[in-house]
Amino acid sequence: MKIAVCIKQVPARDWQPRVNDDRTWVRDQDASFEVNEPDAYALEEGLRLKEKHGGEVVVCSAGPARVAQALREALARGADRAIHVEDDGLARGDAFAVAEALASAMRVEQFDLVLTGLQSDDQGFAQTGGVLAEMLGIASATIIMEVDVQPGAVRVKRELEGGWFQFVTLPLPAVLTIQSGINQLRYATLKGIMAAKRKEIRKAVPPAGLASRQRIVSLYVPEKTKRTEMIGGSPVEAAKELVRRLRDEARVIS
Amino acid sequence: MHPAEIWIFRFVVLAFAAAFAAQIATRLRLFLRASNNIRIPDGESGARIWRVVREVVFQSRTIAGRPLVGLAHLGVFWGFCAFALFTAVEFLRGLGGPDLTMTRWFETYALLLVPFALAVLVGITGLIIRRVFVRPPALGEHVSKESVVIGFFIITLMVTFLLDFGLTEGVAARVNWWVHALVILSFIVVIPGSKHFHLLVSPVTVYLRSSTLAMVPNLDFEREQVGLETLKDVERKQVLDAFTCVECGRCQVNCPAHATGKLLNPKKLILQNEDALLAGTMDVKLADVFGRAVLWQCTTCGACENQCPVGVEHLPLVIGARRGLVSNGDAPDALGAVYNHLERRGNIWGLGADERQKFVQAAGLEIFDPAKHEYLMWLGCAGAFEADFQKGLRSLFAILRMRGITFGVLAKERCTGDLAKRTGNEYQFQELARTNIEGFTAAGVKKILTSCPHCLRTIGVDYQEFGYAVDIVHSSVLVADITKDVAVPVTDRVTFHDPCYLGRYSGHTEEPRVLLRRFGASIVEPTRHGANPFCCGAGGGLLFEEHEEGTRISQERLEQLQATGAATIVTACPFCSIMLKGAQASANSAGEFVDLMTFVEGKLKTVQ
Amino acid sequence: MILVIAEQQGGTLNRTSLETIAAAQQTGSDVKVAVPGADVSAVAAALAAAQVAEVLSVQAAALDAYTLDGYVAALAEVVQRERPDHVFLSHTYRTRDFAPALAVRLGMALVTDCVATRWLDGQLIVVRAMFQGRLYADVTTSGPALVSFQIGAVRLDSLVNGSAPAPVRTVAVAIDAGSIRQKPEAPFREAKQAVDLTQAERIVAVGRGIKELDKIDMARQLAAVIGAELGASRPICDAGWLPMDRQVGSSGQTVAPKLYLALGISGAIQHLVGMKGARTIVAINKDSEAPIFEVADYGIVGDLFEIVPAMLKALQEA
Repeated sequence: MKIAVCIKQVPARDWQPRVNDDRTWVRDQDASFEVNEPDAYALEEGLRLKEKHGGEVVVCSAGPARVAQALREALARGADRAIHVEDDGLARGDAFAVAEALASAMRVEQFDLVLTGLQSDDQGFAQTGGVLAEMLGIASATIIMEVDVQPGAVRVKRELEGGWFQFVTLPLPAVLTIQSGINQLRYATLKGIMAAKRKEIRKAVPPAGLASRQRIVSLYVPEKTKRTEMIGGSPVEAAKELVRRLRDEARVIS
Repeated sequence: MHPAEIWIFRFVVLAFAAAFAAQIATRLRLFLRASNNIRIPDGESGARIWRVVREVVFQSRTIAGRPLVGLAHLGVFWGFCAFALFTAVEFLRGLGGPDLTMTRWFETYALLLVPFALAVLVGITGLIIRRVFVRPPALGEHVSKESVVIGFFIITLMVTFLLDFGLTEGVAARVNWWVHALVILSFIVVIPGSKHFHLLVSPVTVYLRSSTLAMVPNLDFEREQVGLETLKDVERKQVLDAFTCVECGRCQVNCPAHATGKLLNPKKLILQNEDALLAGTMDVKLADVFGRAVLWQCTTCGACENQCPVGVEHLPLVIGARRGLVSNGDAPDALGAVYNHLERRGNIWGLGADERQKFVQAAGLEIFDPAKHEYLMWLGCAGAFEADFQKGLRSLFAILRMRGITFGVLAKERCTGDLAKRTGNEYQFQELARTNIEGFTAAGVKKILTSCPHCLRTIGVDYQEFGYAVDIVHSSVLVADITKDVAVPVTDRVTFHDPCYLGRYSGHTEEPRVLLRRFGASIVEPTRHGANPFCCGAGGGLLFEEHEEGTRISQERLEQLQATGAATIVTACPFCSIMLKGAQASANSAGEFVDLMTFVEGKLKTVQ
Repeated sequence: MILVIAEQQGGTLNRTSLETIAAAQQTGSDVKVAVPGADVSAVAAALAAAQVAEVLSVQAAALDAYTLDGYVAALAEVVQRERPDHVFLSHTYRTRDFAPALAVRLGMALVTDCVATRWLDGQLIVVRAMFQGRLYADVTTSGPALVSFQIGAVRLDSLVNGSAPAPVRTVAVAIDAGSIRQKPEAPFREAKQAVDLTQAERIVAVGRGIKELDKIDMARQLAAVIGAELGASRPICDAGWLPMDRQVGSSGQTVAPKLYLALGISGAIQHLVGMKGARTIVAINKDSEAPIFEVADYGIVGDLFEIVPAMLKALQEA
């Protein structure tokens, strides 16, 4: 099977973002970067499918030169080769710009299966997989828990709200966005890291005229920051107040 | 002697010598084929020779812990050495060389040997009785027939020697002589194939043993080293260790895993290695030789290596085999997650740097500035994130401030890599180490203070292999140093749990006790304490392994500490504290725990 | 005009759609609501209670079960015909499935998981969180956009109902069933053999503070009332009071529910790393210094044997 896994390099999850001067993006020169964690689950699923069905896993990403590091991390875990659509602007591009860039480099490969994470830790659009599928003209399904490869098709388990699930069969080629936490992520082994140095990263040039369809007008720190609200009063009063807050404020109970 | 007798003797000696050489040759080949990992750091040879004198000549380790047995062995050993010249002279005569047996000096010498012979007889008889009738668990379930046979050889040799005084010439004397000679020759031939090979090998292994406990050198990635995967990869020192093992079982009885019903038995590991080497199946995986599960039961406490009287180093073998597994992706699931945490967040729990920042701010810590601060306060993973240990750290900060010691913390810390190193993830360890060393150097760090014994060992010893040498001290040692003026009357009865990485690894067993006594505690010790404590069970990555065979190591140690009857258990390591408190919670038992620094702070405030 | 796409399943309206209608109303624009399905007359009638200009029943046999292709085809046709300024949806799993393809098909932008909107110089500004909620972004689009709203971002009680039901119009869409590539099976709930806390939306967890085995029933009751699973810290499982598959912690299960209610749990680090990811954490513990309060959103220092029964009472009264 020829499997593509699309990954994104994002600033480290615990990095404190600071807004740049014109308030349209963050000052990320001092940030450390890592592979978007939801994409790591997609990669793990891709590697397991390859181990089961044979074939190759090609990891794809679009962005500035530093993205090569994320691709190496994925290669160190067992991906066979990589495609890097290099473009500085794509770091802040929306899903349409990124998907178009990826699609342009991926079309020629004729992948059987394309896997992505659910969304990215930085912008969190949760769109790129679906947009990519439509641009490639292939079927897609999202929030996938299990993948079962069949001849010319794939039967997947979709997660629905409220503890419900659904099996869906779609023809290959297809794009699947993978739910996080469905498998145990492997670590980069020493042998994997040594082998990754010798694996191919194909550089691709993005098409001209890539444009995002949305634009950040203003980026700012929200007023509400996470703080522990201690609820006082007698046990009965505190209990009542807690129930009220959970119901009306946090809205986690009905 | 009759000429015919001499010729027969020559033939016999030749035959036995050939048999001996064949045995040696096999083992020598195994040794030479293995990769050469033997290196003596500059300037250490003197100290090591002195070590051989202490441990081999004077049997310091065999006598420590088992005085009677050790002395008996000393008697047998010295007896052997004393007899060497005697045997040489008799053989010379037997082979047809000059007969010195009638000389004055020889006869005097022989008489002087009598007390040695008696000492050997007493010693060996005692040891045989111990082995056959007392049957200590350390010696294993089955009585070693080989040992009993050797024992009787030795008795025979002494008896024939003594008989010789009463027999002059005649058939009886000749028979006596031949029995003696044949027993010696048999013994010599048996040596390589038995644990008595230690007679030849142990001075070498004692000399070659690293001066650092659990010395597992860095892997050289340029040379594509990945660790010990198959028997082929076993190194020269490890081959020698396999042959030098005397099967005394000291490692076994001190191993916390073995003591709590797990499969891991350090003695068995060494003997399995020996059996596998001699079987010659060099492509067999080490994980199959030892059992994969066994390799993950080791806490790296070092009790085995520390007790061994013949210089066997168990930890390089265990950690080397772990490397072989981990380099190929075969680490336990719990550790795989930890490796991902270390890669992403630079700490073992995968928590964010903002969490650490919260503590730094709440504790009023300053960012390290070499112009202002004497010490870099190294928090470590536990110091950054573990709320309970942070209480102990706050006490330390208060003590330091009371005593005018200046210190600051780094803006960002990454794990020292201790867990990566001890579980065999060498790549990750080296990455973390290099980053930290760069950070220390860039920040102008000269002295480091830490409350975590694991960080102490890793930064202070393991980083030296990267050429980084820094002054690093554990809080108990520094605080002991800066409170010499204090004396508080004794009011508390406590017991102290020695952290393996502070006591056994770093040699600091006295300072915590000095502090406790100085600050009003009387200490009641569990049986296993000081330089030979019983591990809490956290080391070697086992902090994250929640499914244990047999009894939990932490539970066992907690019971030992509770059995002292002390009201309070004092700890000086974040991981000991996590394990013992966890054991207490699971057992739902009572008991007070206090960090050493909190104990001291409480008392210091009363006198300050 | 803003077109709201409402969601229904088997004739039952998804209540989050009402939040989205409220969001559309709050922009001040005219609002139309479209609801796709095979026979949605009942749902459309329910939607018509809101103050909207019109409700469109988008009906086709092929829309009986949800499929990505079917919905994209139907909604693309409706949007192209109605030509709204923007299309609003709730950010449900279903929306996440079809909205990206729909946006490509229509050539529109798609702004997801929004929490608020406002106008600036005649342009719709959409507000969404970024960088794990550390920053908020005001976003604008080049042209009409699909906008999906975070569940619960808009208060359901802010929906304005009309004085009279809105007109309902049936819109027939022609969908070639053969062109639908997805073949869905019936949705199902997992048989409750093994406990999988990682899937739980709410968890009530007990720790050593529960003191006795039979006190766990109180927690069980609370869990049942709020629709939560029962979880535990390690000492509870070690003591055999709850099975190991209920243990939350670094080698037990790592969970990220909407609500984590920790009763009598101190928050030892192995437990903390297993539940830190919960969206709302509530801690009830006698010890004000317990580390669990560091990560809690709401905390009560007190006796859980008094507080939990009081909570049960308050929940049952509402």
